[in-house]
Amino acid sequence: MERQALQKQIIAEALQAGFTDCEVFYLGGESFEVLLMEGEVSNYENSSEGGISFRGTYAGRTGYAFSERLEEESIPFFIASAKENALLMPPEEQEELFAGEEYPPFVGYYPELEQVCVEKRIQLAKRMEEAALNGAESIASLDYCVLGIVKKEVSIINSLGLDVSYTKNFASGYVSAIARRGEETKKGSAFWKGTDWALFHPEETGRKAARRGAALLGASSVKSGSYAAVLDARAMTALLTSFSGIFFGENVQKGFSLLKDRLGEQIAAPCVTLRDDALLAGGYASVPFDSEGVAGKNKTILEKGSLKTLLYNRKSAKKDGVASTGNGFKTGLTAPVKTACTNFYIQKGGKPLSGLFAEMKNGLYITDFMGLHAGTNAVSGEFSLSAEGFLVEGGKIVRSVEQITIAGNFYTLLKDILVVGEDLYFGAGGKGTPSVLVKTLAVAGK
Amino acid sequence: MLKKSVVENTLSAALGTGADFAELYMEQTKRNTIGVVNSKVEAVQSGLDYGVGIRLFFQNKAIYGFTNDTTEKNLIRIAREAAAAARGDRVYTLQGWNRMEFSCRNPIRVMPDEVEKRQKAEKLFLAAEAAKKYSPLISQTRTGCLDIIKDVFIANTDGLWAKEQRVRSRFTVEAIASSATEKQSGHLGPGGSVGFELYDQIDVEEQAREAARIAVTMLGAKPCPAGRMPVVIENGFGGVIFHEACGHSLEATAVARNASVFAGKMGQQIASPVVTAVDDGTISNAWGSAAMDDEGMPTQRNVLIENGILRSYLVDKLNGRRMGASPTGSSRRESYRFAPTSRMTNTFIENGKSTPLEIIAKTEFGLYAKRMGGGSVDPATGSFNFAVLEGYMIRSGKIAEPVRGATLIGKGMEVLMQIDMVGNNLARAQGMCGSISGSIPTDVGQPMLRVKEMTVGGRG
Repeated sequence: MERQALQKQIIAEALQAGFTDCEVFYLGGESFEVLLMEGEVSNYENSSEGGISFRGTYAGRTGYAFSERLEEESIPFFIASAKENALLMPPEEQEELFAGEEYPPFVGYYPELEQVCVEKRIQLAKRMEEAALNGAESIASLDYCVLGIVKKEVSIINSLGLDVSYTKNFASGYVSAIARRGEETKKGSAFWKGTDWALFHPEETGRKAARRGAALLGASSVKSGSYAAVLDARAMTALLTSFSGIFFGENVQKGFSLLKDRLGEQIAAPCVTLRDDALLAGGYASVPFDSEGVAGKNKTILEKGSLKTLLYNRKSAKKDGVASTGNGFKTGLTAPVKTACTNFYIQKGGKPLSGLFAEMKNGLYITDFMGLHAGTNAVSGEFSLSAEGFLVEGGKIVRSVEQITIAGNFYTLLKDILVVGEDLYFGAGGKGTPSVLVKTLAVAGK
Repeated sequence: MLKKSVVENTLSAALGTGADFAELYMEQTKRNTIGVVNSKVEAVQSGLDYGVGIRLFFQNKAIYGFTNDTTEKNLIRIAREAAAAARGDRVYTLQGWNRMEFSCRNPIRVMPDEVEKRQKAEKLFLAAEAAKKYSPLISQTRTGCLDIIKDVFIANTDGLWAKEQRVRSRFTVEAIASSATEKQSGHLGPGGSVGFELYDQIDVEEQAREAARIAVTMLGAKPCPAGRMPVVIENGFGGVIFHEACGHSLEATAVARNASVFAGKMGQQIASPVVTAVDDGTISNAWGSAAMDDEGMPTQRNVLIENGILRSYLVDKLNGRRMGASPTGSSRRESYRFAPTSRMTNTFIENGKSTPLEIIAKTEFGLYAKRMGGGSVDPATGSFNFAVLEGYMIRSGKIAEPVRGATLIGKGMEVLMQIDMVGNNLARAQGMCGSISGSIPTDVGQPMLRVKEMTVGGRG
C-alpha cells in the first residue's frame, strides 16, 4: 500500500473503532555517510527509513502508538495499543488536534545536493582529511573524518483535515584531529553543514580542526579559585543547549524550571537577546510547521535580558492561556509531542573575540565543556563540568589549560554575562551563541 | 521474519559486488513505556521497531546500509549500492548454513506483553507515593517503566544462521527535593534481562524511598570543596568510573584506530596491582547479557585487566581484522540502524581484599562518593569526568557531612594506577551506554575502592 494511502486508511479505521479524532505522523528519510581512515574509506553507510506515529482521542483521552512496519497488517496494532494507552492517561492531559492554518513559504530541499556522485563525495572527504593531517606539525592521526547527506521527510494527516508535509536535506562534513607531543594528546574538531557543495571548503574545515587540536598542546591546570572567563561560542552553545529546557512552558508548569511567574522580569544581563526562530534563512532547524501542524514563528525569548515568552506546544499553551509558539515537536517516532527548540540562539553583539579578551584582561578562555549529560542539573541550573581552554593574561592567550572543572549556576551565569561577541556560531542542531565574557566562574584545578 | 530465499538472494547480491563477507541483521522490537510524573500518567507509548541492516566487508573496509522496507527488491538494492564505494578483486560464493543454537541465558518468567499496562502503572503509582511520603521536602517525582521484546536474526556468508529473543525490563524513579531556593534530585534505575518478574525482585517503594533519601540529603548538603584529595567510591554504580575511564579505551573501536591510550599496551601494567577487571556478557538475567553478540558470536567472559596487567581488549569482527585479533563476543548495536562495533556488556572490577569499614577508617581526609551520576570520556586522550550524585566528606577516618555538586575528573591511566584499596562488596548497577553504535544497556560494577588522589571539582 502506498504510504499516504496507508496514513488515510489508519485514520478511517481508527474512527470506525471509536476514536473521536486521530492523526498519523510520518517521519522518513534517507542518509548517506562515508567515514575515512588513513586515506581509505573505512565505513560507508546508505540507508532509507520511515515510520508512523499515531495519536488519537479515545474516551476523551489521548493514546499513542508507533510502528516502523509500514504495512496494512500494522493497523490493528496501532488501534489496539493506542486504545489501551489512552485509557491509562488522565483526561485533563488530552491533546487537541489542529486543523491547520496559513504557512510561510519554505525551501528546505535541494535535490542537486544529492546529485553529486559518490566518488566526488569521497574525494571531498579525502581533501578534508588531508588538510587536517597536514594542518599542523603535531597532528598524529585523525579521530574521525566523516562526510554525509541527510534527507528528512515529514507528513502529517489528521481527521480534522490537516494534510501537510515538507522535505529538507543537508550535507555535512566533520573532522576531528589528534595532536600529539610526547605523552600529551589533544583533540581538535571542526564541522561544516550546508545545502550547497560549492560553499564547502574541505581544506578550510580540515585545517581548522588541526589548528584547534595543536593549539591545546602544552596544557596544564590552573590554581583553584574564581576567574573571569570568556566562554567560546562552541562551549557556550553546549551549555545553552543543556539548559534550553528551562524556557519551555511545560517544564515551568511541572516545576522543572525556576522561571515560574517571571515573565517581564530581567533574568539575564541587558546584553543578552535570545531568540527561537523557526524561519531563519538557512537555519539548521528551520521548519515551516511543528509536529502538530502549527506554523513556525520567530520568537524573542529574552529581549535585552527580559523574559518575554516561554516556548509552547498546543497543550502547554492552553494551560497558560496563550497561543502555541509552534514548538510542539516529536523528537522521533517513539516520542510524544513535547516542546523543542528550532533555531535557538543568542543574538550577536559587536565585539570580536580579541575584544572580549582585551576587556577581560586576565582570566580563562574556555573552548570546551565535557560531560554535559551528567554534570548539569537542569532543574536547579547548577553545573559542574570538566573543561579545557586557555589562560589569558593582559588580554592575550599565554598557554593552554586542562584538567579543570568549572562550577556555576546557569541562571546566575545569564546575569553575569558582561559582553556578547560578534562570532555567532550554530551547532549542528540549530542552537547557537556568540562567545561571551562572564564576570566570574568557580574553577577547580590544582 | 525473512524467507530463506530472500536472505540468500540478498547475501548473494552482496557477494556479487566483490565483498569478501556479508551479513544481514534483522530485528523486530516490541516496546512499551509508561512515564508517571507526580503520581499522574504523563506518557504511555507502545511501538514496533522493525528493520534490516546489511553489512559488507571489503578486507578492512566496511559498508553498511539499513532500511525498514524489507522487500527482496529493496534489500538487494541496498546490498548492490555498496559497489559504488568499494570494489573487491574477486567474487566469493555463498556457502551452506550452519545453524547456531544458543542455550538460553536469560530465562523469562512473565513475558512483559502478557501483563496489562494498568498493572505496570500501579507499580509506578506505588513508588511515587512512597517517595512523596518519605519527606515533606519531596516536591516532585518521576517514575517510569520500560519493557522490550527484541527478536534478532543474523545470517552471514560464513554460514551463520542465528536467532535470539531478548527481553528486558527496567524501572526508574527520580525524586526531587526542594527548599525555597534549591532543588536536588536522587534517582535509581534497576533493571535486567527479565520480564515482569523484575517487580518481584525489587521493592519499588524501597527504591523510591532511597531516591528520596538521596535528594533530601543533598538538599541539606554544603557545596563540595574543590582540589586534589583521596576519593573513596562506593560499589554498584560507582563502577561507572571503570566503564568511562578505562572500558571505553579498551574497545577495539578506539584501539584499532590507534586512538586509545591503551593501544599497544597488551601485557603491560596499566592499573594498580589490586585491580582485576572483567567484562562478562554471560551473567544470567543481567541487564547487559545476551546469548550472542550482534554479529552472532556467543558472548563470553573476558578478563580485561588481571592484577593490573592488560590482558584483553573488547574486539568485534571488523576491528579484529584490522588489529589481527580474535573477536571476543563483544560486538553490539542499539538497533538495525547501527553497524555493530566492540562495546561493553556487564563490566566490573572484581572483589579485592579490603573491607569497606577498613577503607573508610584508613582515610584521614577525602571524599566519599556514595552514589555516582553519569560521566563521559574521550578515548583519545583518556580524559574523563563524573558527577557525584551523593557525596560526603571523610574526616579522621569517618564519614562526615554530605556535600553536593562534586565532579571527579582525571585521566584513565592515572586513576587506574592510583587505586590503592579494593573492597569485597562487589555489586552491579544498570546504565545505558552511548557510543558510535548507539545506546545500549550495560551493567557497571565494582566493590568499594579508594583512589589515592584525584581532582575533585566543586564550588566550596
